[in-house]
Amino acid sequence: MPRHDAQGVLAHRVAGARCALVALLLIAPSIALAAKLPDSVKTTDPLRSPAWDAMVARHLDGGPVEFDERVQVTVPPTAEDALAVPVEVRVDDTLTGVEELRLIADLNPIPLILSYRPTRADPFISFRFKVEQSTPVRAAARTKDGVWHVGGAWLSAAGGGCTAPSHGTGEGMWRDQLNQVSGGLWARGEDRSRLKLRVMHPMDTGLAAGIPVFHIESLRVLDAKGQELALIKTYEPLSENPVLSFELKHRGPVRIEGRDIQGNLIQARVGP
Amino acid sequence: MNQSTRGKTSSRHLPALIAGCAMLLLAGTASAAGVTDAMISNDATSTNDVLTVGLGQSGQRFSPLTTINADNIGDLVPAWTFSFGGEKQRGQETQALVYNGKMFITGSYSRLWALDVKTGKRLWAYEHRLPDGIMPCCDVVNRGAALYDNLVIFGTLDAHLVALNMDTGKVVWNETLGDYKAGYSYTAAPLIVKGKVITGVSGGEFGIVGRVDARDAKTGKLVWSRPTVEGHMGTLNGKDNGITGKLNASWPGDMWKFGGAATWLGCTYGADVNLVYCGTGNPAPWNAHLRPGDNLYSTSTLGIDADKGVIKWSYQSTPNDHWDFDGVNEFIPFDMKDSSGKVVKAGAKADRNGFFYVLDRTNGKLLNASPFVTKQTWASGVDLKTGRPIESKNNRPGDPSAAEKGESVFSAPSFLGGKNWMPMAYSAQTGYFYVPANEWGMDIWNEPITYKKGAAYLGAGFNIKPLYDDYIGALRAIDPATGKIVWEYKNDSPVWGGVMTTAGNLVFMGTPDGYFKAFNAKTGEVLWKFQTGSGVVGQPATWEQDGEQFIAIASGWGGAVPLWGGDVAKKIKDISQGGMMWVFKLHKSAAPAVAKN
Repeated sequence: MPRHDAQGVLAHRVAGARCALVALLLIAPSIALAAKLPDSVKTTDPLRSPAWDAMVARHLDGGPVEFDERVQVTVPPTAEDALAVPVEVRVDDTLTGVEELRLIADLNPIPLILSYRPTRADPFISFRFKVEQSTPVRAAARTKDGVWHVGGAWLSAAGGGCTAPSHGTGEGMWRDQLNQVSGGLWARGEDRSRLKLRVMHPMDTGLAAGIPVFHIESLRVLDAKGQELALIKTYEPLSENPVLSFELKHRGPVRIEGRDIQGNLIQARVGP
Repeated sequence: MNQSTRGKTSSRHLPALIAGCAMLLLAGTASAAGVTDAMISNDATSTNDVLTVGLGQSGQRFSPLTTINADNIGDLVPAWTFSFGGEKQRGQETQALVYNGKMFITGSYSRLWALDVKTGKRLWAYEHRLPDGIMPCCDVVNRGAALYDNLVIFGTLDAHLVALNMDTGKVVWNETLGDYKAGYSYTAAPLIVKGKVITGVSGGEFGIVGRVDARDAKTGKLVWSRPTVEGHMGTLNGKDNGITGKLNASWPGDMWKFGGAATWLGCTYGADVNLVYCGTGNPAPWNAHLRPGDNLYSTSTLGIDADKGVIKWSYQSTPNDHWDFDGVNEFIPFDMKDSSGKVVKAGAKADRNGFFYVLDRTNGKLLNASPFVTKQTWASGVDLKTGRPIESKNNRPGDPSAAEKGESVFSAPSFLGGKNWMPMAYSAQTGYFYVPANEWGMDIWNEPITYKKGAAYLGAGFNIKPLYDDYIGALRAIDPATGKIVWEYKNDSPVWGGVMTTAGNLVFMGTPDGYFKAFNAKTGEVLWKFQTGSGVVGQPATWEQDGEQFIAIASGWGGAVPLWGGDVAKKIKDISQGGMMWVFKLHKSAAPAVAKN
């Protein structure tokens, strides 16, 4: 899939502007503050999102942030299915010491998609999410010094993904498979493996009429001794029955432990 | 969000710092020691909070508050209201709990709200995600939550027990009480006893097996479980703890395996004898020809050791029940002066079958039984020696055998009971029980039935009929020492709401026509009424804050009557649906028109 470039920004500015009104209301206080910033702090957003300052304040603990090309976000040029847009995040080897990744879609009604702690894993993740309208998709990688290194791409979308009922809810069958996990584990080299998981969950955003918010809250990947390999916290925009891929610095079977926001537990073992 | 990872403190970080400070402030105001066992033990006498459904573990529903009393009740006016919202407005049977500046209420469809108790402002809401296949027999109600530590705990229609953080509304634990596909559900308020949360199960119309569970209230971990049908194994700390009763002693063949006896109204607690009192529902199926025998421990009150989960005593009110005379009604411990002036450790229950029972709460021995309704076709009385009903001849529906339908009989009370779920109240001040009763009968007949998972397991048909033209419902004051009805209030439609009494010589109850009413506790005179906009089937509660007494009631018509009421439906068909919390206080002319907070 093509990486996003400067042309892409221009192409999608119109779509972005459509949504700017709501976002501006949210970020008005941040704009006032931004005006007083020292010149040394780089805050120019290459994606020129109207909501970016608000995203930093709300979802990146206020920064500091640096726009860093070594954090690579791959999305399709347009969202074919607004309910499940594939995203892949990869961090270049030269950016070391990444402790956390946060995934944000600026112009979604609920922007924060997930946060990921690669305890004994590479700062890599792939997943699908629901998009409401064209939006920047960001990955922010926090390094040990507390700086958020931000990469991103514009996603063009007809939208509506966040306010539609999940398929499972419509069919009434979601409960039978709730929190069931299927997964695969593939060895890579001598001490690494790729883990792919699917967890059955309607992941309702609470924005569809009459359907309460209901989503997976956390998933922890553990080795056979119960030591953490990775921790992911997930929010409303992650797609229904989410499929997630991780690259673990580990070989051998893993355990998955997690829960949703109503306390239903997720438990599974995945072997090679 | 992890605030500690930020390296620098330039002006760039100001928004986050402000946010951080705000969070600290919030955390500061939210801090409270949490609800303790001692506080719960004292809930019946503490006046600045409401920690238990029933206003105390014994469920007497008596408040010592006198600020609002029979002399000034005319000045009672609304303080604030809260709408439950949503399109699906159904029966609202909740009771408000009040603690640490918050009110906790539950609503139809397994919802729970935390409100600012001074203003009614919504602080957070929890909407349990229900599957399509839930099978509540008698409306999608909930009868309230329990508080313990920093948790608010309630049960759901898909038979889960959920504990939420009082301050944030986040789920702390979620345990399964039963398989909703087999008909298990949960509607009662849980009971807290010595750090444990005690629950029953609903589903007696689907051939489930009744059970009382005790869990660690902080973690949800099961401590003991006691089935209520003989032959089923109990547990204590994960180990077998003996079967209930004796296999096949009062059940034929395999019928005990789907024997019902649902504990759907939860339990009360007698602290002085350390017994949890739980009523059990009808044996399944309703067609009693299929299960000759007493069918223990259906239609009974059980005294269960609160620590060990073993049955210390049982009293069965309707052996081999044939009328759905569910004996599930609350058993309220109280101290009774007998005719010689001696104080007896008693407990009372107004049964679905129309008798008001007084038992020795230490051993379950019957002390007195008297009718609290005007007509009982099925029995002429209760033998005080044996404790068994003196059953009428020919008032059981005929055996259908292989026929489609057996002979029909007319029986009173109806299966909705002389009294149903709606809790009565006891005032040590007047010495009376205040019993919400209904006067109705039914045509009932039997049909063949076999058990099928998740299907109604009745083997009976029925049609409920009012007994009188001028009233169905009644509120009756009963002297437990004599069984005499001291006063009664008659209501056109059936009553379905809980009762509360106060030291202010008052009794409170709502009615389906939308009124919340206050009665003189000694005479039954209606002193005050207020139209809430929808039928009232909720449970009143009262507390004191800032020197004023408040009274809360949920309004929202529903429950079993509109679903099962047969010919009674005519009396209730024009009642509007609703879903609203009403809070009242005495009018103060000097108070500002708009609350400052």
